[in-house]
Amino acid sequence: MSWKYLCEVSDVETNSVKLIDVDGVSVLVANYGGGFRAMPPICPHMEEPLAESGVIANCILTCTKHLWAWDLRNLSMIGETERDLKTYEVKQEGDKVLALIDGELTYDFDEEGDDDDDFFK
Amino acid sequence: MTTISSNRTGTSSSNLRTDEDVIDQVVRPSNDTCLVEVQSKAGLTAFACSKNESLLLAGLRQGLTLPYECASGTCGSCRARLDSGDVANCWPDAPGHMKIKPAKGDILMCQSRPLGDCSLRVPANVVEGFARYELPTHHNGRIERLDRLTSDVIHFDVVLAEPMSFDAGQFVLLQIPGLEGMRAYSMVNYERRTRRLSLVVKRKPGGGFGDWLFERAAAADKIDVFGPLGSATFHPDEGHDLLMVAGGSGIAGMMSILERATNEGHFESHRGHVFFGVRTVDDCFYLDKFSRYVDRARGNLEVTIALSDAPPQGPVEGAHPDIRFATGLVHEVCGRDMQGRFSDRMMSYLAGPPPMVDGALRTLIGTGKVTPDRIRYDKFG
Ligand SMILES: Cc1cc2nc3c(=O)[nH]c(=O)nc-3n(C[C@H](O)[C@H](O)[C@H](O)COP(=O)(O)OP(=O)(O)OC[C@H]3O[C@@H](n4cnc5c(N)ncnc54)[C@H](O)[C@@H]3O)c2cc1C
Ligand code: FES
Ligand code: FES
Repeated sequence: MSWKYLCEVSDVETNSVKLIDVDGVSVLVANYGGGFRAMPPICPHMEEPLAESGVIANCILTCTKHLWAWDLRNLSMIGETERDLKTYEVKQEGDKVLALIDGELTYDFDEEGDDDDDFFK
Repeated sequence: MTTISSNRTGTSSSNLRTDEDVIDQVVRPSNDTCLVEVQSKAGLTAFACSKNESLLLAGLRQGLTLPYECASGTCGSCRARLDSGDVANCWPDAPGHMKIKPAKGDILMCQSRPLGDCSLRVPANVVEGFARYELPTHHNGRIERLDRLTSDVIHFDVVLAEPMSFDAGQFVLLQIPGLEGMRAYSMVNYERRTRRLSLVVKRKPGGGFGDWLFERAAAADKIDVFGPLGSATFHPDEGHDLLMVAGGSGIAGMMSILERATNEGHFESHRGHVFFGVRTVDDCFYLDKFSRYVDRARGNLEVTIALSDAPPQGPVEGAHPDIRFATGLVHEVCGRDMQGRFSDRMMSYLAGPPPMVDGALRTLIGTGKVTPDRIRYDKFG
């Protein structure tokens, strides 16, 4: 486990997202005004790239493909959303945004593991 | 047409709750009928499906809340995983396949017909839903009244053998002999238990249905209809102000909403804002209808035509002083014009080409702070 540098606080404007490569792991950084979140770059619904489909307003991240949405303050699901957003732990040190990245977080869309069965149940 | 076989027989079937009661309730009308089991987040259910019908239409017709958006192979929303059995893939090139994982056994229910009994897993809550008016079903229709509105837009009526009730904002699937697949078109009119569906088509270069309609279709031609479908619907009793953003033929469903809202006096106590995007003034249609709706709404309805390619020219504007003309992409015009006027009393309706709808969603959510539960959309393709 280690804290990895993501970006400067000023690199990601309020209510916007930015795609960052951290040692080969693609991470989406979101600035929702009240803070930052770091997450896998795809929507947990149908794997659309959130860097393009994600919009943030009032601390809520919405995917414009089918309107799944999450409150970035507490990561709760909004409305018809059916799956949680996975996130990396984030902290700010001065002007720097860091994330605890211990391997890539993924949604198990494919695997026959627990997650997948969960998904279909 | 290709055949897809389940690649998960054995191991995965242990996940299925074999609820004999559910399965036994399904009636098989004939030997040609297959039994389709559906495992979803809501549990196990089942329905009968003939080998000639898509899984999606058969399930919807029987009242199941199977997930879908386009019902015509493009969006991927009707994905399911085939756990056992075989299906025929009616359109192997359907763009929707790019959004699913065929290698894992994923299929598009709207493009799959059963070849025998099969079982599916569907990532949604599939239950026996309630229909506000009636379940969608197959209808026989005939073409009537073809009216060219612009060089590439045509309005036509389909007269049904049996009446249909639909909500304003809904669509039907149309199929003609000799053309593979069904096309989705939104109703322009609004009437309960009607035998007449008014539709409008914007011709897509090289498109199969458009080519037929513009070049060969004639009054009395037979056409197969399935519907009503879609959930981007207007319900006056919800008591909302209305915001509508449409690109090109996306205006179809908005016309149905305007018709109902006007006839039922909705604009006596609610506001409406329509943004209609086309390329140039020559591409505008339905201007007379808009003028009538604006007139009847007595100040509570604004219609803005957004011209993406050319600024407004005098004559057309002059003939419609009650309609506003602006230059720019429709979602940008909407964003500028509605600045400070978005409200939580509003329901937003969006329809048109996917990039236009996505742009409008971005504007509404980002600029207007509109929440997802106040947005209903149809992406045309
Ligand atoms: C919900 C919804 C509502 C719509 N409402 C309208 C409307 O009111 N007015 C309008 O002009 N357009 C509307 N469209 C778009 C319309 O459905 C057609 O895509 C468009 O008219 C082009 O059809 P075409 O046959 O001319 O072009 P094509 O390129 O020949 O066909 C386009 C569509 O037909 C289907 N299709 C094509 N080939 C096959 C095949 N081999 N097997 C199965 N399916 C096939 C697919 O859905 C494809 O996207 C709507 C789309 C959707 C999803
Ligand atoms: S892919 Fe994001 S909501 Fe469907
Ligand atoms: S509903 Fe089947 S692909 Fe859109």
